[in-house]
Amino acid sequence: MKQQNKFSTGRHQEQAAESQAANPASLEFQGVEDLLRHDAAQTAVPPEIARRLSQSIAQSSTPRRPWWRRWIG
Amino acid sequence: MNEACAEAQSTEPAENHLLPAALSALYADHSRAIYYLALRFLGDPQKAEDATHDVFLKALRHLDQFRGEASARTWLYRIAINHCKNVRTAWHDRHVLPSSDNEFLDRIPGGESPLRILETKELGGRIQKALDGLPAEYRLLLLLVSDQELSYEEAGALTGQTADAVRGKLFRARKAFAALFRKTE
Repeated sequence: MKQQNKFSTGRHQEQAAESQAANPASLEFQGVEDLLRHDAAQTAVPPEIARRLSQSIAQSSTPRRPWWRRWIG
Repeated sequence: MNEACAEAQSTEPAENHLLPAALSALYADHSRAIYYLALRFLGDPQKAEDATHDVFLKALRHLDQFRGEASARTWLYRIAINHCKNVRTAWHDRHVLPSSDNEFLDRIPGGESPLRILETKELGGRIQKALDGLPAEYRLLLLLVSDQELSYEEAGALTGQTADAVRGKLFRARKAFAALFRKTE
């Protein structure tokens, strides 16, 4: 679906890999999208979201009792 | 939730299995992309968490409206973009003074070179700072096209413009981001 490799050539990737091998603490990105893809890959989705979603779905699927029934008990 | 926690590496969490079957597969395939878009577009991990929750809840409620004309990723992005724009507009209207985009872009020096990162520890924070300095439209375009599942045509359809317009704006957006990113060193 996506156009073929919009951002970097194979040679650039090789050079980046070589530079990383020489200095493991440094990274080189051929473009902004490359940097953002790396950042996205490092970003984990907080597990709390799935928990909250399942709670919200459970609450919305349980029919609420009318106010007068809740009041009477 | 703080930035460091949000950026921690993890495998698919067990919590995903709590979700109903109709949502579980969608969530497993697209939650990272939607959360990342919300995180970097809104610039706040808590707001991104809320937005991701709301987007998937809306998706579940409107699942019958998804006709498969676009990919599920594009459909979810559309919901997420609308949602994040609403959140951002409400917050920014109260807290941020408007600035002239053209004035800002005119000051950016030309030339594109690779971005070399020596210290990866604070990388997320630096990226956020640079994105925060961009006009919202450029930030959104960069985030969308950095997703390899999305073409320029799809990014254009999501932002209401042609693929050529996307290409033109991306050229300036990349230059602006690179300049702002270097300033964060």
